[in-house]
Amino acid sequence: MKCSSKLLWSCLVVTLISGTPRLRSQSASGSSESFRTSILPLLTKAGCNSGACHGAATGQAGFKLSLLGYDPVEDYERITRELGARRVDFEHPETSLLLMKASGSLDHEGGSRLKRQSPEFQRLKNWLTRGAPFGPANLEVSSIQVGPSNLFLPALTNHAQLNVTAQLSDGSKQDVTSLALYTANDDAVAEVSKGGQVRAVGPGLTSIMVRYGGQVDAARVAIPFQPTKASNRSDFPARNVIDEHVQAELERLGVPPSPLSGDAEFLRRVTLDLTGRLPTASRVREFLAETNHPTKRELLIDQLIGTEDFVNYWTMHLADLLLLNGTGDNTAAYFNWLRGHVATNTPFDQVVRELITAQGNLTQVGPANFWLLAADPRDLSEHVGRIFLGSQIACARCHTHPADRWTQEDYHRFAAYFARIGREAGGIHLTQRGVVEHPKTGKPLSPKPLGSLGTTPDNASQEQDPRIHLAAWMTSADNPLFARTIVNRLWKWMLGRGLVEPVDDLRPTNPPTHPVLLEVLVADFKRHGFNLRHTVRTIAFSGTYQRTSHTTSGNAADTQLYSHAHLKPLVVPVFADAVAQVTGVDNVYQSYPPGTRAVQLMSPATPSTELDVLGRCLRKRSCETVRTAGGGVTLALHLINGANLQSKLQTGVALELRELSPPRIVEELYLRALGRPPEPHELSEWASLLQPANDRTELIQDLLWALLNSREFAWNH
Amino acid sequence: MNSHQSSETSAEGPAPLAQGRQRCDGISRRDFVYLGMLSAFGLSLSDAIRLQAQSNSGRTAKAKACILIWLDGGPSHLDTFDPKPEAPSEIRSQFQSIPTRIPGVHICEHLPRTAAVMHEVALIRSLTHELGNHDTGTRFLLTGHRPTPSLEYPSMGSIVAHEYGFTTPMPPYIAIPSDSAGGDSNAARSGYLPGGFSAFNVGPDFSRLGGLTLPEGVSIARGERRRDILRKMDQFSRQVEEGPATGDRDAYYEQAYRLMGSSKAKDAFDLAAETRENRDRYGPSRVGSGCLMARRLIEAGARFVTVVDTGWDTHQQIFKELPDSRFPGSGKLPSLDRAYSALIADLRDRGLLDSTLVVLMGEFGRTPKINAIGGRDHWPRAGCVCLAGGGVSGGRVIGATNSFGEVPSERPVSPPDLMFTILQLLGIDPSRELRTPTGRPMKLLQEGSFIQELV
Repeated sequence: MKCSSKLLWSCLVVTLISGTPRLRSQSASGSSESFRTSILPLLTKAGCNSGACHGAATGQAGFKLSLLGYDPVEDYERITRELGARRVDFEHPETSLLLMKASGSLDHEGGSRLKRQSPEFQRLKNWLTRGAPFGPANLEVSSIQVGPSNLFLPALTNHAQLNVTAQLSDGSKQDVTSLALYTANDDAVAEVSKGGQVRAVGPGLTSIMVRYGGQVDAARVAIPFQPTKASNRSDFPARNVIDEHVQAELERLGVPPSPLSGDAEFLRRVTLDLTGRLPTASRVREFLAETNHPTKRELLIDQLIGTEDFVNYWTMHLADLLLLNGTGDNTAAYFNWLRGHVATNTPFDQVVRELITAQGNLTQVGPANFWLLAADPRDLSEHVGRIFLGSQIACARCHTHPADRWTQEDYHRFAAYFARIGREAGGIHLTQRGVVEHPKTGKPLSPKPLGSLGTTPDNASQEQDPRIHLAAWMTSADNPLFARTIVNRLWKWMLGRGLVEPVDDLRPTNPPTHPVLLEVLVADFKRHGFNLRHTVRTIAFSGTYQRTSHTTSGNAADTQLYSHAHLKPLVVPVFADAVAQVTGVDNVYQSYPPGTRAVQLMSPATPSTELDVLGRCLRKRSCETVRTAGGGVTLALHLINGANLQSKLQTGVALELRELSPPRIVEELYLRALGRPPEPHELSEWASLLQPANDRTELIQDLLWALLNSREFAWNH
Repeated sequence: MNSHQSSETSAEGPAPLAQGRQRCDGISRRDFVYLGMLSAFGLSLSDAIRLQAQSNSGRTAKAKACILIWLDGGPSHLDTFDPKPEAPSEIRSQFQSIPTRIPGVHICEHLPRTAAVMHEVALIRSLTHELGNHDTGTRFLLTGHRPTPSLEYPSMGSIVAHEYGFTTPMPPYIAIPSDSAGGDSNAARSGYLPGGFSAFNVGPDFSRLGGLTLPEGVSIARGERRRDILRKMDQFSRQVEEGPATGDRDAYYEQAYRLMGSSKAKDAFDLAAETRENRDRYGPSRVGSGCLMARRLIEAGARFVTVVDTGWDTHQQIFKELPDSRFPGSGKLPSLDRAYSALIADLRDRGLLDSTLVVLMGEFGRTPKINAIGGRDHWPRAGCVCLAGGGVSGGRVIGATNSFGEVPSERPVSPPDLMFTILQLLGIDPSRELRTPTGRPMKLLQEGSFIQELV
């Protein structure tokens, strides 16, 4: 069995180090300079405390600093006190080990990090001359702000300089442009120099992450594809607010949008996205025949959202998200609870409140099963953070999150919400015991919402389940993460890419491609009572969703702006169901009634070689960004040679169709598999292939085999 | 397409070994030229097949192939190849140690057959790193890079597949039973390289490798007809435009058909073709069958075969789990002993050992101190690796740990050093530069240097 307590080892190393540092709070010269706000940033900028150097969990060459300076008090102790203060020499500052090593005057594996003539070297030296004071103990950086927050660099050779201002806790401000750390999130779009100069590299959107003194900020960067023209409008008017924002960004970046999809393309896409299945041949015929119907797409969307198939498919989406992976009666209770809420379109905040506060018998209280995901409260906090708050908080288990605002205390106080979950006698219960301790001080921590984003529960009484407070905070209308996280996922499930990617990493330093659009959608979602169907419908109604996937000249390279529809591979259960639907032969799943489709399976543990080879989501960890195990050549071999497909070809629709004329057979197969009639050249080619009557059945099977193996079939386009 | 050239030409010549070491802040970013929109597509697998058919001549390295036996979960160094019989009882193994064919070198008593082939083996006792989780440790070992959230790095197997290309019907990179090493992390997969360079997974049942032949009732002629229809159908259809993802899918099909078309390649997957004596020699265990399969696949043209042996994460009852096959899910050591020693001897007998590098390792060692439930926990600061064949000089030990097996006391070897060495032994320049899908230039390795003592 694998050890599930991830990161524990590296945390242990951190906890070994503690002690009470002695601070020299007065400075010899009377300057208000503090170690925390003036000296430590120099070392951070020079790379001394990076994860690969002394910031590593075990330090480097016997000298350990906190990662990117998250723990100034400890760093101060190590620099000025550890090993008999051998790293500093106040009498002869230049011969201090700190300076000798950093400048490369003494052998240093990290090389020369600070040039002897540099102002930074001088500042360090002056600080040592003054006796290396810590300075005002409480002075710290409260926030940083980068400007401009939005950069638009119209030509590829363009440069722009960022400026960073730090707000200190005493109310003063500092220009820290030269000391901040800059990281380009996508250096194929823009690069950034050590000094904060941004250079355009290629067209697209990205952002520059800026870090200083434990605080973070980001500047968005846009590099246009073509010189912006006044008239870059697409040939259809904005259908709703989504289109206005998407169009504006396309215009700003000079990307011509593709036109609306044709009816067949739209029908197949929206049926797959809303119900996880292909439109039937007769549905395709009907829909294409309704030519003079201005609102037929809207009617179709509303009709699909009202189907049982919609309920089944969106239950699967949410079950994947919740990692609903058990077996047995309790899993059935959990699944049925979830499906029931999807069927009645229960407001999402209510669904999550029920889940977060669930307790009781596992077979009676379905959502209580969520708490079986992990036993350790810290692991649970990471699941809750990722699933409902779109945040990867795991880094903060051992040190301040290097790219977000969470501190170690934030992390462990958040985890403390889950400390008293008991799992006895087939149920989830509140216990009186159970605490999460601060890894350094060892003191038990009271629960607190993530970071400064909420208030501490008032009555820390032993009687109340702390999860009640948590659920209220998470789902309150002003929670900045909860609604954004689910809306961003709904967007991704429909459009193939989140407005923020990855969808479980909504950091301030990872801004959305369309920030205003996301906020508008989030506000609309809340205004409509956390109504999932409403937002799905709004997205489906937009012209943006309904664009063709065909590129036009000038937009093929765009992957972020929705100038054309993204290709989405059919997800594994949908693919398996589609093969069954097209061939007319159902898959059979052990202990499920006949006719059960793969998207309806409550457990990924349901035995199925087919789904294993295709590579289904096992719901053990997120399948949102990690590729699953199946696929590749193994998958191709299975689709080419698999006995399952062959038997479906032999027993299914091929037999029904053989009495029809060859052109009718071809048409029927194309409608069933691809949701469109064949083009004239396709029709004539395959109709003549099917001519020989004596070989007709096998030829139909072979044509159908090819359709199911074709590129077009495998994608939702 | 521009992107072919960008991905295929190294931006610089091979770096001298002395320059292989990198500053500890890692990446020294270099300016790179934006190559136009096509660079966003990277190199598709099908392009690679075409290009590399021509580029594979002229390798002079001794090793032509590699078998990696991956001890998933992290084998205890103290209870396998680095016993410390003098250490106090809370540290030392309960197993005795026995002499080997390397004078003065002892290993665990449950590895007697291995002890008898140690003259072929170079044993590194000073592998060290700092990543104590299965997923991160596995990634570090198999990719040579510390994991970062922003970029997935390709595994050794995928790099070998990329560099050697698809020159035979046999897929270059094969995993037995699958490439899910380190839990279900992506450590053994293709990272930023196209998915087509991932391993071909043999699957859990070696004896019934499905899908290599047409289904019953479909003749070869009909199989050909289907393929012709499919080819034409994809050409006709303009609904789905080609891009990197569709390119990968097309390449999987191409590779599948090549494999199906070669009886030599298909036969290699059939263990029934081995003699009973030889099957006995490797033993009936999964690792035994896996090693035997690996040898057959290498013979048939595979370049990198990973045999994943799970169950080495011995947090409890280590002295029962490792040696005793009656203990549930265990008997790791006797099975490995038989499989590993048979593989080395068999490759030697067949004249394949000099051209086949055999690597035995896991993601980390285990805590010197035995825990309260009789097991050992994760300990990345010390671990062992065995290398044999492929130009490695056997019969020697490199590095050592301190008296309690806690940290290297001499010649520490890092995961990048190890990967650097493996790549170089296989004739692949570790400083070679590829491009990520976003066009960023990326060396195969950012750090690491060749372990000279091995040759």
